[in-house]
Amino acid sequence: MKKIIAYSRITDTLVILNGKPCEITFSCEIGPGRLAEIYRFLEVNYPKFFKMDNFSKAGFLASEMVLRSLHYDMESPDESTSVVFANRSSSLDNDKRFQETISRDDYFPSPAVFVYTLPNIVTGEVAIRNKIMGETSFFILESFDAEKMMIFADWAFSSAGTRRVLCGWTEYLDGHSDLLVMMVEKESDKGFDFNKQNINNIYRT
Amino acid sequence: METLIFDLKKQIIEALNLEDITPDDIDTNAPLFVEGLGLDSIDALELIVLMEKKYGIKLEDPGKSKEIFRSVGTMADYITKNRKK
Repeated sequence: MKKIIAYSRITDTLVILNGKPCEITFSCEIGPGRLAEIYRFLEVNYPKFFKMDNFSKAGFLASEMVLRSLHYDMESPDESTSVVFANRSSSLDNDKRFQETISRDDYFPSPAVFVYTLPNIVTGEVAIRNKIMGETSFFILESFDAEKMMIFADWAFSSAGTRRVLCGWTEYLDGHSDLLVMMVEKESDKGFDFNKQNINNIYRT
Repeated sequence: METLIFDLKKQIIEALNLEDITPDDIDTNAPLFVEGLGLDSIDALELIVLMEKKYGIKLEDPGKSKEIFRSVGTMADYITKNRKK
């Protein structure tokens, strides 16, 4: 039986790890500044974080919380874990930023902004950080859909050797965050069942 | 030259989003890539854009890039000799 063994939830006002709200006091208005505040609250030391676009930062932080809670070994290459994320707005938050940089007469396109104009970059950032060598994929949906999330995870589990899937909803647009990232294990006696009802329940927290 | 080096450090910090780093933290002669600031290939592209945007320098010979971008000092030296603005 597949189980959710850890999860994180990030919204504009809440940061939740495994059902418990983190005691973070935001000093910034709702927006990208809050992502930096979460980064500092978690005491992450990964300077590359500041080079990411805001959407990748959000996905990175939600994943970081889950993996750290599991004491994930980020130093050893891991072929048994896959990453599957989905959202509604793709990389639009950064696409708009890039469009602004090329809309001026004297434009100089920024390579560092351009590289984030794809939504699946966030899965790569998480994989690189944690030496995850399994499949990574990203899907764009109309809205949060627990059933589809289960289908995506099942697809990842069908890949030989995959025992765990880091999956979830990583929506970020115009400073607004809506993320649920879960670690699902194929055969576990811990956690709770990976089913539609449980996914919807934790998403609504 | 000192002013140019200071400005260049500020521009690099801004262009590469080097959070929590000040111009004083950057050693003028330390390697920019792998060691030192630990920059990567995308950062190299940003530095090429910075050279053109701020100093009007178009790098047309990729073979020279490695030496030009070795450190802030080598960048400043190249800018001094080749700047168009």
